Amino acid sequence: MIRYILRRLAFFFGALIVASILIFTMIRVAGGNVAAVVLGKDASAEAIEALVVEYGLDRPLPVQYFDWIGGMLRGDLGQSFRTGESVAGLVVSRLPVSVPLALSGLLLAMLIALPLGIYAARNIGKPSGAAVALFSQIGIAVPVFWAGVLMSLLFGVKLGWLPTGGWIPWSVDPVAAIRSLVLPVVSLSVVLAAILSRYVRTAVLDVMNQDYVRTARAVGMTRTEALIQVGLRNAALPIVTVLGLQVAELIGGTVIIETVFSLPGLARMILANVAAREVIVVQSTVMLIIVFVMVLNLIVDLAYGFLDPRIRTAS
Amino acid sequence: MTEAADIPAAPRRRRKLNVSLAIGLVLTLSFLGIAFVSLFHLPGDPNMPDVRNRLLPFGTPGHLFGTDVLGRDILSQLMMGARTSIMVGVGGASLSLLLGSVLGLWAASAGRVTDETIMRTADILLSIPGIVTALVLAATFGSGAGTTIVALTAFFTPSFVRVIRSAAISVLVEDFVTAARLYGRGRLFILARHVLPNIAGVMIVQFTLYFAAAILVEAGLSYLGVGVNRPSISWGLMLSEAQQQVGVSSPLAMWPGLAIVLVVLGLNLLGDGLRDVMDPKLARRGA
Repeated sequence: MIRYILRRLAFFFGALIVASILIFTMIRVAGGNVAAVVLGKDASAEAIEALVVEYGLDRPLPVQYFDWIGGMLRGDLGQSFRTGESVAGLVVSRLPVSVPLALSGLLLAMLIALPLGIYAARNIGKPSGAAVALFSQIGIAVPVFWAGVLMSLLFGVKLGWLPTGGWIPWSVDPVAAIRSLVLPVVSLSVVLAAILSRYVRTAVLDVMNQDYVRTARAVGMTRTEALIQVGLRNAALPIVTVLGLQVAELIGGTVIIETVFSLPGLARMILANVAAREVIVVQSTVMLIIVFVMVLNLIVDLAYGFLDPRIRTAS
Repeated sequence: MTEAADIPAAPRRRRKLNVSLAIGLVLTLSFLGIAFVSLFHLPGDPNMPDVRNRLLPFGTPGHLFGTDVLGRDILSQLMMGARTSIMVGVGGASLSLLLGSVLGLWAASAGRVTDETIMRTADILLSIPGIVTALVLAATFGSGAGTTIVALTAFFTPSFVRVIRSAAISVLVEDFVTAARLYGRGRLFILARHVLPNIAGVMIVQFTLYFAAAILVEAGLSYLGVGVNRPSISWGLMLSEAQQQVGVSSPLAMWPGLAIVLVVLGLNLLGDGLRDVMDPKLARRGA
């Protein structure tokens, strides 16, 4: 087990280093002169030169890279070129919106997908099972922003139950903050659940056809008992894997849903900075997101090792 | 659904598979057909404002799907959007297929070190969310169809590499490959002559499913304003404009969304149907 953990950790750090080099190269090298990009086409040569000197952009690239990484490790993510605000401050101020949105979206998606997928697998070949399969097939095709627009049309405009967009900070009115998160979370989770439930269904179907479930049935368990007592732990493996892969989907969905509902989250901050060509802000924030995704993937892999002894003992 | 329930279990399964393929084929062909027609004929100019004919309802003569807030014809915009979806979708999926095949076949047939290097790199790239790649590219190079295709390729290629490598490995252990090797055939010959034809099915299915995925991602990016911009038209862009200009209650938001759902559903059904037909082993697992 310790060897397994060590190997996973080595891959985790290796992946972080490779990803950071990729991002840095893409923005600093392929993008051309950062100062010129930030200041736009009309900037004078003197203004560009001044910015180059101020931010040390004339130093060798490896020096700039290690400067950036060193800063990240100390919690200094750099500053915005235009406003001079610290990126760390910008990020922290947006987290109270994005983190609850993404995490409750994922949680709700699992709460919908697990029972739905198990139900579809149990009722395969029956109209009810087919109906669930049809729901996931259509749900996969629905773009998350359209789900958001339809939700806000129905529950915001037609029924008037919940706000169609906007944000009231937690400190001002926690209830209003939760109310403005309900529709975004539901829209995000419905689309994720459609994808997840298909994998759950496949995983449960696989397990139901295994010998150990048949044995459990033979010693007198009902199908449901057999599934819960011996099947679920086995079905959990592929589901956990898929959950890890869904994290990328979750990040993309969160970015889009924040835009649909005009939530002042991390994603909207990145978008604004992409439009303003604030490359330093984009570079550091994107790296933070990648760290977040890779940490989740690491947790998934370690969980996988705990769930399945075969994984941790294999070479 | 109720009709299907009356048919006995074994034949129904066969029938259901064909239904998926048939619906997928019909939806996909209509989609391709509409985009093809748009090359020769559009009912109106999709970018030409016409203030006297703003926000015409569905079914107006001359503007079958009505007009948007600037008086631009909706049907023409939808047809142009189909063209964009195909360009970006086929572009992203083809480039990923090409790169994925080269790297996947290389990894499958080369030594352990090359294999490990390619596969671990693919793992790393897989953990970078596609939207993040797209945002970084848009920040550096500006947005547009080209940037979107590059972003999609960066995002999809690792999945293609994985799928093609594992399919190729399962062919490379077959007896006829050993026979070819003993006969003195080179690596490239074996890959081209024996492996490629045997994994073509997997490649077609993968292409179809990622064509659909590319359309979804492109629509999302254009909705965010970091994908396709006017004068090009994308369904995601139309939805974003509809929401910004006339608020969320607009019926204008229905058409592009519906178009995306139908096309993506069609391609996914087609991909699933093809997989069932070409690989009965997978079909039985109900994947």
